[in-house]
Order: sequence, then structure tokens, then C-alpha cells
Amino acid sequence: MVSVALDEADAAREWVEVAAPTYPVVIDPDHVVAERYGILNIPTAIWIDEDDRIVRPPDITPADDMWRDFTGIDSSLHHDALRAWVRSGDAPMPAADVARLVPQVDANDVTARLERRLGAYLRRSGRNEAARRHLDRAVELAPLDWTVRRASMPMRDEDPFGAAFFEFMGEWQQAGSPGYEWGNAVTRRDA
Amino acid sequence: MTTVTLLVGGRETAIDARRDDDRLLVDPDGFARATGWTLRPEGLCRDEVCIPVRDVDAVAPGGRLDLHRVVAALRLPAAIDTDELVAALAEHASAAPPPPTTDAADFTLPTLSGEPFTFSAIGRKKKVLTTWASW
Repeated sequence: MVSVALDEADAAREWVEVAAPTYPVVIDPDHVVAERYGILNIPTAIWIDEDDRIVRPPDITPADDMWRDFTGIDSSLHHDALRAWVRSGDAPMPAADVARLVPQVDANDVTARLERRLGAYLRRSGRNEAARRHLDRAVELAPLDWTVRRASMPMRDEDPFGAAFFEFMGEWQQAGSPGYEWGNAVTRRDA
Repeated sequence: MTTVTLLVGGRETAIDARRDDDRLLVDPDGFARATGWTLRPEGLCRDEVCIPVRDVDAVAPGGRLDLHRVVAALRLPAAIDTDELVAALAEHASAAPPPPTTDAADFTLPTLSGEPFTFSAIGRKKKVLTTWASW
């Protein structure tokens, strides 16, 4: 198990120190893992077999049931499916489905992520005004990508658990909750 | 002479550049170091692929690359700040997209203590990759 913080080191630190995990945690402020795996939201889990093939593509995977009412996802379904795969090699879906479900992001979405990355970089070096222009542009390009829109909130002086979040949530639901819409179905099938 | 910082896939490369009004003219060797795309007579090449550069203004007299025009020629998604001299470039050009794959991508990222960690170093085991954030 490897845990990736799509976050600034300073923001991630206190969480890692409290959790004191026994597995590696890496810090990814540039969202490199999001870029390479088409990740659109957190928490996400990807399963990868001994031959480095993805057997379960990115999907929302809460570690516990804290947000169960909100997400409709029972974490025990994931846990049971994961144990079955680890113990007996039961793949959670046919390989053909994996290929179909690996998220594809278009050039526009990629540009949004690059604008966010540039904004975060400028912010880190104290160039806040220039940073803001790029973060605003990122959100304009990909308003429904959580790793762009919500991740930018602290850097755009918005509360990611406050009004800006609920406004975003409303827009995202209005648009049909795009992203991992297949995820819950997979989870329920695992059950 | 100044430098432009190119952000590509988590790497940060400072390359020689010159600002000419709205143009950023960058050193082709530095661009190749940061992106893998090398200027050759047949165009910009990476691995086995060459993309012809038909825009004559993409290469300035003296051989420097006009950053905006070169990313347009490659259809390389990019975010460029000419005033701040920083640009974030995609790892893959739309003109030469990688084949779709279900192979797991490798990455090297730092732990909180700054130690680099390479995903593939885990070797032949089942792996679960989780992502999270404070936001």
C-alpha cells in the first residue's frame, strides 16, 4: 500500500503525523499521480497486480464510513473485495472493463491541471497575484474536476468545507456527478 | 539572458531563455532536457516520433524555440506565464498521444522527510495506490 497526498507538504504533515501509517506516504503537490492515472477526486484507490497491470481503475474509495450518508458507499464492500483479491486473486472486474473504465482526460482537462500546477507553484514562491490568475483559469477550464476545483479552494481563499464547497457540490450534482459515476455500481457488484 | 522554469511531470528544469515582448525564446537543448523533444531537421522528435514544425516562426533566428509556437506545433497542453517566466507543460503531446494502456504508471515522489520514493521499487507484489488530501 502506498498513500499519495495530492497536497502541499505543510498541509499534509499534521495528518500524516497523527495517522503515523506503517506504509509509505508520498507528497504530490504537482498532482503527478493524478496526471498519470486520470484521478479526478479523493479519496481514490487503484489496485495494481504483480505484473504492474491495473486491475481496478481509480474509484472513490472511502477508508471508513464517516461520509457514508453523503457518498452512499459502504467501505466494508471495498475492504471485502480487496481481501478477496489479495487472498485468492479474485479480480474485481474483467480486464476489458478496466481498459474501458480507466478515466480519459481530454486536452482541455490537462490544460486545467497545468494551470493549477502553475498557480500552486507561483503561490509556493509567494507570487500570489499571478498564482490567482492561473488558479482561476484552471477552475474556469475544468469546473467539475475535484482535483482542480476543490484542491484550489484553500489557495483561492475559499473554504473547501464551507460555502464554496456546497456551491461546487450543487453544480457537480446538477451536471450528473461526472467522474467516477460507474464506481458505486462496481462497489455494489463486489458485494 | 534569463531563465524560464519548466514544470513537467513533477520535475522542475530551469533553462536559458530570452524574453522578446510576448515571446519566450528558449534554448532548444534546455527544452529537450525538460521535455524530451529535440529539434532536428525533420522537426521536433522524441523517441521514434517526429512532429514536423511548419510554423516558420517557431524557431527564431539563432535556433531558439518560441515556446508558445512550439507547444502549439506539438499540440502540447501548456500553461505559460510569460511575466513570471514559468511554464507547466504536459508529459504527452496531443500530436503524439501515448497508446491507451492499463499498465500502471511509475512515479518517484518525496516522502515528508524529503526522501525520494519510487513506486516500481515495490517490485512484484499486489499494490494498492491510494490518494487523499487535506482539502
